[in-house]
This record gives sequence, structure tokens and C-alpha cells, in this order.
Amino acid sequence: MIRIIYFLSLFFISISAISQTIVIKGGEIHTGLNQESFIGDILIEGDTILEVSTKPLKADVVVDASNKIVTPGVIAPDTQIGILEIGAISETRDGDSNMYSMGFSVFDAINPNSTLIPWNRSNGVTSAITLPDFNWDPLSGMASYFLLDGSLRVNGVPDVALTGEIGAVSSGSRAESLILLKDLLEFASTLDEKDISSSKKISEVMEDFEVADLMELQPRDVIALYNLLNNKLPLVIKTNRASDILKLIDIKKLYGLNLILMSAQEAELVKGEIAENNIPVIVNPFDNIPDSFDELASNIRIAASLEEAGIKVMFSESRTHNYHLIRQGAGNAVANGMSYTGAIMALTSNVAKSFNIADRGILKKGMKADIVIWEDDPLEPATFPTKVFIDGNDMDLTTRSSRLTERYTDKRDLPNTYK
Amino acid sequence: MKKLFFVLFSLTINVDTFAAFESTYEPLQSEKILFINGNILDGEGNELLDTDLLIADGKIIAIGKGISVDDKDIKIIDAKNKWITPGIIDIHSHMGVYPAPSVRTSSDGNEATSPVTAEVWAEHSMWVQDPQYALALKGGITTFHVLPGSANLIGGRGVTVKNLQRNTIQSMKYPDAKHSLKMACGENPKRVYGNRGQAPSTRMGNFAGYRKAWIEAENYLNKLEAYDAKSDEEKMVESPPKRDLRLDTLSDVLKDEILVHIHCYRAEEMALMIDVAKEFNYKITAFHHGVEAYKIADLLADNGICGALWADWWGFKHEAYDMVQANIAIVDQARGGKGCAIVHSDDERGIQRLNQEAAKARAAGNKAGYDISKARAMNWITSNPAKAAGIYHETGSLVAGKNADVVLWSGDPFSVYSLAEQVFIDGALAFDRNTGFGPVSDFDVGIVDPREDRVND
Repeated sequence: MIRIIYFLSLFFISISAISQTIVIKGGEIHTGLNQESFIGDILIEGDTILEVSTKPLKADVVVDASNKIVTPGVIAPDTQIGILEIGAISETRDGDSNMYSMGFSVFDAINPNSTLIPWNRSNGVTSAITLPDFNWDPLSGMASYFLLDGSLRVNGVPDVALTGEIGAVSSGSRAESLILLKDLLEFASTLDEKDISSSKKISEVMEDFEVADLMELQPRDVIALYNLLNNKLPLVIKTNRASDILKLIDIKKLYGLNLILMSAQEAELVKGEIAENNIPVIVNPFDNIPDSFDELASNIRIAASLEEAGIKVMFSESRTHNYHLIRQGAGNAVANGMSYTGAIMALTSNVAKSFNIADRGILKKGMKADIVIWEDDPLEPATFPTKVFIDGNDMDLTTRSSRLTERYTDKRDLPNTYK
Repeated sequence: MKKLFFVLFSLTINVDTFAAFESTYEPLQSEKILFINGNILDGEGNELLDTDLLIADGKIIAIGKGISVDDKDIKIIDAKNKWITPGIIDIHSHMGVYPAPSVRTSSDGNEATSPVTAEVWAEHSMWVQDPQYALALKGGITTFHVLPGSANLIGGRGVTVKNLQRNTIQSMKYPDAKHSLKMACGENPKRVYGNRGQAPSTRMGNFAGYRKAWIEAENYLNKLEAYDAKSDEEKMVESPPKRDLRLDTLSDVLKDEILVHIHCYRAEEMALMIDVAKEFNYKITAFHHGVEAYKIADLLADNGICGALWADWWGFKHEAYDMVQANIAIVDQARGGKGCAIVHSDDERGIQRLNQEAAKARAAGNKAGYDISKARAMNWITSNPAKAAGIYHETGSLVAGKNADVVLWSGDPFSVYSLAEQVFIDGALAFDRNTGFGPVSDFDVGIVDPREDRVND
């Protein structure tokens, strides 16, 4: 038996040794790190980047990238890709739970055959964080991370972050939301490993916490709270008003939260404190409109202004179907003062780092090979990718949209249904 | 007795001659300006490199190479390496009727209380202090058309507005521009009324609703015309048909005095709407949103109907599911380039960068195999929307004699990095990025820091 295993392992080693290598040759490489771009080669073996070099590299397959731009695959930080197909059809939306709050995981709902996956992939997005709906709760469900490779067994990491929202509400007060947030965190801070070791134990600790009853918390909600504090799960809070941001910073400090701010349209007014506390911020670069009285300070230079303060910036896009338009958003951010390198980082490594995705978002040795070759400047919305690699695989870029385009530009005299 | 009738009759005349809500627009002080050596996309499909443009008295005077003017008062603007385009026009905006902040108390874009509200006018809802006009101006928008929303089969009248923010709607209205009539197909009206258990709740209910309204309008118009045909004597003894605001609007459509703009996504619904228009003998100016316009691009071209479309929006509704990015290009290129394509925004973020939306649409079209120049694509956001608003004879392209609505761009307007540096409306500077000159709405005054204006950028 041992001999068979030995033999098999030899067999597998030899398979991997002969697995094809690919070199992406001569492209202008933007690594996703804070460094100047350079002309160079990227060597891939299997799903991994073996080397990135300004010297010529050799491989079994050569992909010419001369006169093209090469970047890490775009990582989308704030989507509902995979859990939403058509906005107005509630049966195609899976972002909400009636039963769970913090413990609600969207991972099992992800549909790898969603048309949003090839569409965003063909536009350079290689992986995404998918979030449950925000329902004005200070803490709600958990976000998951997954690759846009269309694999039926979803390649991803469930429950990479907890979400929540603080701000203007049409009834009640934001003060109530902040109190609830603090009560939940105070409760979480009393939990130890034993308390969450079984449903029975959890039920016992919940008995001493009245809010749990009021909120109809379930055991898995309590486990999520425990993980938030003890495993430093990132907490993404959607909020806008400067004073709310300051309150959240106080709470972050008190409980040692791994806080990420989202939307944060008045972040500019408190950028010093955000920077001091190393809080990453997800902003929508198009959002310069004072949509509510929480967002009066919003303006088109927010990304540049936060970058200048030394804050880690990421981009979001309000329409999940076209989430890839964060590239256009990044272009607009650059047009309004952000650095080009900073904008590329915002689309790639800043997301990976903020959400603890250790092996993606940067083009360097040892990282997973999620790579996009662009025909031209990726921040120009008129630029398309020519090749997209996910885990080293050269992905097909066909979409339902490209199929329909072919059908309706086909000049043969046939009904569309016969083309 | 006869005398009394006469008095009444002349009173009627007096009432009729007061045109309510007429434009009182006055341009700002125009300048004499010679832009030299600019790269011009003229809105007529031409790209003119290193070319001069002369404007004076609010009009375009000349366009060409090496224009020399012997006038010491003229202002010279060096446009070397910069680009000049006509003022950008958005044919589909809800600024003012859905202003920012988007609070319920100012959301006045849909009179969703009856499926046919042809009697309402968007201009009666517009908030003049909306901070969004200034943001659009910074994106080069000199003229925009405000429509009622799409909750109703027939939603009311839309209005064309000069992007010069002032304290009354009348002072912003584009002089003598026709109204539009906003109609809507598909999911929105049937959802809004179907959810209340009333008609329409289906697409066939929608169509019954349009036709019923047009039948009423025909009857009304017949009565009006029959009365008009009467002799003065007869008119003295017979009172005119009772005025009906709703049917006034619809009969004006039948008299070709109002332009029909229809919110419609699906190809088959657009084809049916064309038949309704033929049945009642009116013309459709444009289908808006038309995510499936590419499926009937030839039909639109044959009927002289524009497609006012997004570059890439999709998926928010089932009728918006079959998106192709080449939609605008396919509509434009139908019947050998006879199509009329418009990039519209329907969005207060999109209106700030219609040039980028046109850039995406052009790139997608060329990827699909067309060869569309930047000059051609510029028509999608200038001359074509001007035609659809009925103001093309005055604006929408850089042609001598037209209004000097001009944008000076820092670079190629099809690049994301280019910004509108200066925007002129009727030959007068309305926005200057370098000096910060531009409108500040009352909303922005002292609202964050009482000593300052809110940063509206």
C-alpha cells in the first residue's frame, strides 16, 4: 500500500512538473503595488505566478502582450454578483434573510451560471466580494469572496467580512443604531470559546442578553459576533456623515475592530482620523451628488483627497450588473487628482489586503495568476481586455451580450432565431 | 345682448393670447471670442484639426483655418491641443423633478395617480435650486430636456431647458422649444397600476390605455376643429368646446405641436407603438432606453425615429436584460448610416459624463465591426438630441449662424481624463474650471460651513 502511494505521488509530481508554463511577454506591467510600471514578462505555471521580470522569460506557451497593459485582475469589493440576476425580479435575488442577521451567509446562494459573471469577467473583473442586502441594521449578514471563473463548485471563501449600516433612517434615530451596535459588541466582548462551543451554551449566554431576544438572534448570529471580535473579521460599515464616521472610529478603537468604511461620502472632513486609525475606505468615484443630508460634503475629488491623506482606497459601483465600471470610476478619480498607480491599487491589491485575500491582487512571484491583458489603458472606459487569466487559466471571454451582438450584426437574410 | 356676446368673445380672445409659462430666458453677457488652433468635433460628423472658431453676439460667426479678425476687443483663446465641441445636450433628464437631496418632499417626477396624466407639465415640478444642474454644466451640458417619469402610460409634458440656473423655470426654459409628451411602455405602468388592482396590469392593458386616450384626443380635436370652422356669427352664439387640459396636450400631439418621446425597452413593444402612432396619425420622435433597439434598428431608421439609449445599462428589469454594448452603434448604422442614435443619461451621474458614455458606445460598436469616427459619435450627444428636442435649427452643432453653445475640453472628449474647461451658452461664459467661475445654487449657500458655499464639484 505504501508503495502504491509512493508510486502515485511520483506520478503526480511528474504531472505537475510537465504542466504547461505560460509567459505573458513584453507587456507594460502594473503590479498592483506602489511602484512604477515597467515592460516585462510574467511566467505562470499552473495557477501560480512563478516570476515577474524585466528580463525575457521562457515558457511552453507565449502570450504576446507587447504594446498592451498588464494588471492584476480587478477585485470588486462591494457587489451582489452571483446573488442577483434581475433587479426587479425578487425570485432572482438572494441577498436577504428573514431568519438570520449577523450569521447570514450568502455563499451558498452564489449562482456560478449567472450572466453577470462572464459579463464582468470579460471586462476584467476576476474575483468579487458579494454582500448581503443592507437593511439599515447596524450589523447584518456576512460577505463572501469568490472567483469569477464560473466553476460550478464555487471557488471562494465564505464569510470574509461582516456588514452593517449606520446613518439616516426615515423612522427612529441613528443614535438608536449606534447604541445597538455598541450593545452587540459589548455582548460579543464577553464571549469566550466555551460560550460558543455548542448551541446549548450559546442559548445560555443569550439568556443574559435581552437584546438577543428582542432581535430574535440565532446561535449562528452569536458565532458571527464572536468571530468579529476574536478572529478580527473585517467589518464593512456603510455610512456617510462625518460625525457618524467619528463615532465608528471611537467604537473601532474600543473593541479593536477591523473596520472598513463604505460609501463614506463625508470621509474627506475626517480624513486625518481615518488615516491615523488605518481604516480602508470604499468610495464610489461617481458619487459627487448630495443625495441625502448625510452626504452634503460629497464631491468628485474624494478618492484623490483620501489617497493624499494616506488612506487605503477601494472603488465601488452602484450597479452590480456593470460592476466592472469601477474602472471608469477609477479613470474619473485620476482625472480629478488621484495618482494612476493609486487607482490601479484601489482596483486590485487594496481590496485583497483589506479583505485578507493573501494570494491575489498583486503580480509577483508566488501569487495566484489572476491577470488581465488590456488592449490599452484600462482606466479608459473604451478599453477592453484582450485576455483574462484566473488561476492561470486563459478564460473564455464570450458573453450573452457578445452572442446577441453577433446575432444582430449577422447580415444573412434569416430570422434572428435562425442565426 | 349682441354687445354682451361681443364683450365675452373678446374676453376669450384675451385669455387665449396670454401664453402661460412662456420662456423669459435672457442669455448672460456674450463675448467676442476667437478660439485658435483647436481640434473641433462640430456635431455634423466632421473632425477639424488645428481649426479656429469665431463667436460673437451669442452666435457662431465662422469656423475654419486661419480666421483673422481685425477687432481689438476680441478675446483670443488658445485652444492648441484642446478640443472644441458643441454644448452637450441630454434628451432625458429628471434634474429638478427628482432633485438632490432625493427627499420625498421634492420627488415630483411621477404623477402616479392615474395611467394617463397628459395634463401635467414637468416644468411645474422643477426645483430651480437643484445643485445637480451645476454638476451637469461642469460636464459640458448646455441644454437638457426634463421629462416626467415613466409610471404612467402617458406621463405629461416634458420641457427643454437652458443650463443657466436661475430663480424661475420660465427664465431657464429654452425659448420657443416644443414640449414633449412622455409615454411609457412595459413593466413600469403595468406594475404601478397592476399592484393597485387597476388597469393596466398587463402589456395588452397598456396598449388599450394608449388607444383609448388617443380616441378621446381625436374626438376632442374634431370638436375643436368643427368649432374653429364655424363663422364668427355662429361663434358668437355658440360657446367653444369646454377646455380639457389633458386633451389639450394630446390634441397638440395630433397637430404635430408636441414631440412624442416614449420610454420603451422591448423591440416588439416599440414596433407596436409605431403602429399605434400610425393608427392615430402622429409621429414618434424617439424611443428612450430601448435596450432592445438593436433588434429593430432598421425599422427605427425607416420611420425616422431616434433611439435615445444608454451605453451599457442592463439587468435592473427583465425588459432590460438583452443588453448589447453595440446597441447605440447598431441603431446609428442602420440602413447605411441613416439611423438616429442618441446617448441619453436618465441619471444625474451619467449626465456629467455623456462624452464618456459616447466613448464606450463607440468603442463597443467598433469592436462589433463598425468603423465609427469620433466625429460621428459626437453627433450622439449634440446634433441628434438637438433634433429630438426640436432645437437643431438653433443649436447642437458648430455651424455659422447657430447659437454659440460651445465646450472647450482639456483634451480628447472621448478620453476619461478630459474635462470641460470652459462652457459657453449663447456665447456667454457659464463655467470656467480654471477660475472657478460658475453658478452656485441657493441650496449650496452656507449649508455645511455657514461662511462658505458647499463644494458642488
